[in-house]
Amino acid sequence: MLWVDKYRPKTLDKVTVHDQVAQNLRKLVKMENKTWKIDTGTRTLELELVMLSSAHHVEMNPSDAGFQDRYVVQEVIKEMAKNRPIDAKGKRAFKVLVLNEVDKLSREAQHSLRRTMEKYSASCRLILCCNSSSKVTEAVRSRCLNVRVNAPSEDQIVQVLEFIGKKENLVLPAGFAARIATQSNRNLRRAILFFETCKVQQYPFTSNQVAPPLDWEQYVCEIAADIMKEQSPKRLYAVRQKFYELLVNCIPPQSILKKLLAELLKKLDSDLKHEICHWAAHYEHKMRLGSKAIFHLEAFVAKFMSIYKEFLVSTFG
Amino acid sequence: MGKRPPVVLLSSSSDEDDGGDRRAASRGPSARRARAPAVPALAHAPSGSRKKPRRGSSAERGRRRATGPAPSGYLKTEFDMLSEDFSECLNDLGMPGSIRQTKELWVDKYKPLSLADLAVHKKKVEDVKKWLEEKLKAPKGTFGGWTLVLTGQAGVGKSATVKAIAAELRVEICEWTTPVPTLWTEHMHANSGLRYVSKLEEFENFIEKIRKYSLLSPSSIGSQRNLTIILIDDIPVTSGKASFARLGKCLTDLVQSTQLPTVISLTQYHKSESNDTTLWNSEELESLLQGAGAHKIAFNPVTINSIKKNLIKICKQEGSDLTEELVHQIATSSGGDIRHAIMSLQYYCLDPRRLNSALATTAILPGLKGHDIVRGQDSDGRSSVIASPCGRDETLTLFHALGKFLHNKREPYGDVVEVDSFPVKEKLRRNPLKMDVPEKILSQAHGKVRTVADFLYENVLDFIDDDAIDDAWTVVSYLSEADCLLAGSPIASAHCMVNESYESESMTQLIAASVAARGVLFGNAHVSSSRWHTIRSPGVWQIDWSFRFRKDQILRERYDCSCTSGSRNFCDIVTEFKPFERWIGPLNDMPRSNSLHHKVEDGSILIDRFGTEGSSSEEDEDAIEDW
Repeated sequence: MLWVDKYRPKTLDKVTVHDQVAQNLRKLVKMENKTWKIDTGTRTLELELVMLSSAHHVEMNPSDAGFQDRYVVQEVIKEMAKNRPIDAKGKRAFKVLVLNEVDKLSREAQHSLRRTMEKYSASCRLILCCNSSSKVTEAVRSRCLNVRVNAPSEDQIVQVLEFIGKKENLVLPAGFAARIATQSNRNLRRAILFFETCKVQQYPFTSNQVAPPLDWEQYVCEIAADIMKEQSPKRLYAVRQKFYELLVNCIPPQSILKKLLAELLKKLDSDLKHEICHWAAHYEHKMRLGSKAIFHLEAFVAKFMSIYKEFLVSTFG
Repeated sequence: MGKRPPVVLLSSSSDEDDGGDRRAASRGPSARRARAPAVPALAHAPSGSRKKPRRGSSAERGRRRATGPAPSGYLKTEFDMLSEDFSECLNDLGMPGSIRQTKELWVDKYKPLSLADLAVHKKKVEDVKKWLEEKLKAPKGTFGGWTLVLTGQAGVGKSATVKAIAAELRVEICEWTTPVPTLWTEHMHANSGLRYVSKLEEFENFIEKIRKYSLLSPSSIGSQRNLTIILIDDIPVTSGKASFARLGKCLTDLVQSTQLPTVISLTQYHKSESNDTTLWNSEELESLLQGAGAHKIAFNPVTINSIKKNLIKICKQEGSDLTEELVHQIATSSGGDIRHAIMSLQYYCLDPRRLNSALATTAILPGLKGHDIVRGQDSDGRSSVIASPCGRDETLTLFHALGKFLHNKREPYGDVVEVDSFPVKEKLRRNPLKMDVPEKILSQAHGKVRTVADFLYENVLDFIDDDAIDDAWTVVSYLSEADCLLAGSPIASAHCMVNESYESESMTQLIAASVAARGVLFGNAHVSSSRWHTIRSPGVWQIDWSFRFRKDQILRERYDCSCTSGSRNFCDIVTEFKPFERWIGPLNDMPRSNSLHHKVEDGSILIDRFGTEGSSSEEDEDAIEDW
């Protein structure tokens, strides 16, 4: 079992990172009469499922169903509402449905979610999780209690890592946890995974040990370096082949674009940063509208090359 | 239908349909069978035997009596009247310009009777003739080498040549005429003892008969020379590998065992015209027959001059006075299809008024579009794209169209800014295209828009000059717009099945195609020097395919392995768990056949493996030359 799963807090009491949020949720559970929407900020967190102390809950990722997601949303909620469990006191209890990745639901699905939500609210409780609430329609948002969960600070991550280290009887050199925390970019899951990787690779830890970077991210770095090195249609074509490899491995194109932008920005003159960001946003939008992500990824790269080349020529002649 | 007594009994004295020989009936009354579905209420007879209403003479109608009530009897006579009207209308078609009444099409009337009449190139005719003479004189008893395959486009006179030669040599032609097929649905509907024989089966029977006949004939006729040619003009359409294999075997048998000169004429379809089902027809069969030892003679399209000569001759005989110009136009627009040329000639002779209007439109068109249309007859010599009201719809192959877009040939001179056009910035100006309007080329190529866009995207970078990264961006950005248009808005995509929005949907498709093609043309301002390029098949297709495959795999694993990973988001799995799996070991305890970690090298292997199964890898070989 991965440490991520092993040290996932099972009850609200055990939540260490967002204890404030957890306390509030505890109070809510006692009242037990709300639809919650957990808005987890930009990073998915340990908190995700902790509050599900109740025995009867169903959890699902409707967005996996692709364009048919609305049927999933409707049917499952209907189905669950039909057979309500009865709790110990003979009172009718609630079913709890956790929907992950609500922001990835199509518009239709969100609309049908809104309707079903109202219709079956008497018998069914919904917990919606999403990474960004901006992609959830206003109608759904207003029917929910929004709980925002921030990304954990590096200190918090260090605490968690040290906690795990203690449980696993590991000796952590000084600064080791902090380094992993920095590398994880405030993503707790990633931090724990990094931690476990280090453990597998080498234990006892050396003081300057670094976890290997994620391979797809490294690959994106290579692409970025390629782009900076030469700007020509031929290079563009080579880059396309690299994108293909990433896409084949199911890396979401949005993540690729984001990472690529971050890599490019690192090496870029500050005059260009604004414009590049603008175009990245532009093609990210196009990517959502269109169906072939590679077209838009490549359009962004081409635009970058075009701007960068012009910049190079004007600066260095 | 429910209220009125539905049965009309039509009894006719000649009871051919009730006879036992239903096979014969299935072949014979073709026209009547075809009409039967038009009047289903009338076609039911109580005894179960099928009677067809026949269009016909009054004598026949007298023999018919309607036992049904008056209204339906009235209906029937009305139908008869209608059908008579209809046949009269049909006859009208054969009436040329109120000069003389003919009952037949000119194609039949003026079909070549002698070798001199043939519009086909002399040399080809000679070839065929020599072959036939040789074979007719050759001693019997040898196997193989008795088959001639004629290939060529539709209407270049393949069958006509054989028939004319046969007439000249006074040889009898034994022809495979396609029987009127009993369609499967008809068979189900009639359900009256008609044995269902598929077309392929009938063809096989025929071949079997020929083979027996040709084996028998030397003995029966003895020393006397048996002057018969077998002409197979119409090879049944097969679909699917199995039936094609049957057809192939049947034909190979024929080629190898026949001892009579056998001529098989194959119509070559234009590549883009043929759907997948007919794609095998010309090429595979051709190679198959040649492999079996058949001799092949390919017919080229008939030359314009030769068509013109024939048309003028017909005009003289018909006594109509078409202008030289129009004849020329008909000849050019027919694209080497002499049958079509004669048909359109007859059509024009029907109504003298149409002549003028046709001339008028052609006179106006060049004026409207300026040099565009005239330039439309581009360098490759196929000047068939004149906008004329007659002429067959010209098609381009997809690759031809792609080549036009990618090579982006333009007029060399730059002073093309016309007076009326609004001023454009210098950098946005482009020289006029050396081709038709892109939309027209697209419609001629009639490929799917998605396909066109994918092909353009895959190949366009090769055609852009190495320094012109700006151009590359322009092109790709237009393609990206086209992609958005193709995908449609998220709402519209859900309703695309509803027919209401179907029209607007196809409109978007057209616009997207136009954006893609014009974007490529406009953006590629600095075309790289022309050289040999190979058109690759879009890599996107493979990628999409293997992407879906992998996604399914990952999702399946997620669900059947453990409850802990069931809750993970898909994108988290791929971006975070999968990479770590490499170091930490498999996420779950399940043994796995292939490790799925993402690695650069592995990625390419994956692609390669899927590439071999990819949908269209054979298209890689399609290459185009600079033109």
